[in-house]
Amino acid sequence: MRPLLEKLAAGSALLGGLILLAIVAVTAANAGAFALDRVARLLGGTVSGLPGYEDFVRLAVGAAALLFFPYCQLRRGHVAVDFLVGRMPPPLRRALEALWLLGTAALALFLAYWMALGLAETRADGALSRVLGWPEWPFYLPGVLALLLWAAVALLQLCETDGDVRA
Amino acid sequence: MSERELIGLAGLAVLFLLLVLRVPVGLAMVAVGIGGNYALSLAAPYLRFEPYLKQFKTLLWSGLANYELSVVPLFILMGYLAAQANLSRDLFQGFNALVGRFRGGVVMAAVGACAGFGAVCGSSLATASTMGRVALPELRRLRYDPRLATGSLAAGGVLGILIPPSVALVIYAIIVEASIVEMFRAAIVPGLIALVFFLAVIALLVRRKPEIAPAAEPMTGAERRRALLRLLPVLAIFGAVVLGLGAGLFTPTPAAGVGVFAILVYGLLLRRRGGGLDLHGLRKALLETAVTSGMIYFILFGAEVLKGFFSRAGLPAALADWAGSGGLEPWTVLILMLAILILLGCFMESLAMILVVVPFFWPVLIDLNGGDWVTAETAAFGMDTEALKIWFGILALIVVELGLITPPVGLNVFIISAMARGVAMRDVFRGVMPFFAVELLRIGLLLAVPALALALPRLLSG
Repeated sequence: MRPLLEKLAAGSALLGGLILLAIVAVTAANAGAFALDRVARLLGGTVSGLPGYEDFVRLAVGAAALLFFPYCQLRRGHVAVDFLVGRMPPPLRRALEALWLLGTAALALFLAYWMALGLAETRADGALSRVLGWPEWPFYLPGVLALLLWAAVALLQLCETDGDVRA
Repeated sequence: MSERELIGLAGLAVLFLLLVLRVPVGLAMVAVGIGGNYALSLAAPYLRFEPYLKQFKTLLWSGLANYELSVVPLFILMGYLAAQANLSRDLFQGFNALVGRFRGGVVMAAVGACAGFGAVCGSSLATASTMGRVALPELRRLRYDPRLATGSLAAGGVLGILIPPSVALVIYAIIVEASIVEMFRAAIVPGLIALVFFLAVIALLVRRKPEIAPAAEPMTGAERRRALLRLLPVLAIFGAVVLGLGAGLFTPTPAAGVGVFAILVYGLLLRRRGGGLDLHGLRKALLETAVTSGMIYFILFGAEVLKGFFSRAGLPAALADWAGSGGLEPWTVLILMLAILILLGCFMESLAMILVVVPFFWPVLIDLNGGDWVTAETAAFGMDTEALKIWFGILALIVVELGLITPPVGLNVFIISAMARGVAMRDVFRGVMPFFAVELLRIGLLLAVPALALALPRLLSG
């Protein structure tokens, strides 16, 4: 189970990363157009930037952000404050750790449930992005899947807490 | 105190309890936010729970799909790409070529590189560990005094937070709805003061005891040329991002996007000459970006949920009332807040701390200052709300970093002493102390002369 979830979580993070790189490419193209426009204006012409740039960035970054969550969980990257628990006896530490992992999984499922409802509603309403006029609901989809994967990773870590506890 | 406010206070207490029990910060915030709203709905039937829950259909999406916020993962990616392309090493060696031949120069170069790299990297801990890896071996080879070497590296990590494009600064600006560009402009003078202070500390220490910094053998002409040639593109990329932002050519997201693009292209070009950025490095940078961005987004979402609960409970106004009627002077409250931030900074990454604490402190400060619409003449701190945002932000960012080098628990010191085998933790702390002292001096200066932060943004925006 672990190898599969590891691959899925890393894949999800890399997909999010590729979306960021797409934002970078679009930004560079837009900045290039902007610079060319300055030159073209001197010669009496114009070069237009990409229409709906901000719209695209907003949709893309929204999709990318949630794709990062499962991998962040896998690497235990969600910060916690450690000034007491580190000194507690190991069994108690394990119990607390297990409890918080269960809480994380529950939260991820809760958010996935509501976001799926949000997806259905957005689709039914035919909500479109402001400038580009793209439908919003497909951008919810990676989010819902990533939240489910996040819950799965936390549950996997919960099953493994007996043998694997950070000092 | 009303029942609603009591529930808000109880929520605050539960939040701290959960944090002490090492609940992930984002999870604790969301749990308290949802649980608190449930409690409110029981106490005040008009605050119904079901409509509140339905907000979660779009709350997460609308919180994350935010153009302003997109600058955060982009700057983080820029930092990790820079690390993977070994730009941290190029910075250190370039500065070393400039000042390394002076006594103490190598350690000054290390501090300068820490400041430059800390700016793109966004995390002091990552800066300390990256620069420690790059500079410690060189300092050891030259037989620099271990206290000076480790102390200055641990302290150097805290410089980056005020140097654009600091992620912590962006996040502070987003939380209090300040202009990111104004914040960057305000950070320039305080950031330079710190750099000058740190270099002065090194110069003074070396002058008093020259044997702690043995003279380095001069680089050959070819070595120097190569180091300087490699420094130029790094400075050009960072400089373009910083100056473009400062001069108002770019807004933050395009600046970050262009910065990432430039580092990608430069990293790939370096590859043809050996080194640089390969597919493995790119993959690693993307994965690290996922971990850091995921962490930040989770806490940002938690802060949003928590804010909804606290404002329904009327807590910020109640806290501000209490602080005002408790007879405490506004200045005393401000200094208490800064002290709390230093204390918390000993245990927590600065980013997480800003996300957790600033939403509480900010409304209290506004109220103590005389409310949202106060003018500079009648305000308790002698400035309007916009200026207070900037000034408090700069102070808060400095002190959250100070916690990282505060004895006996500074995290930066732990990292450096773990890397410098054979140097006791006690010695690293002793090495840090002179830097800690000038940081306190800098905070005192900024408290006494707010214009150090406020003059430049005013000047640049006309």
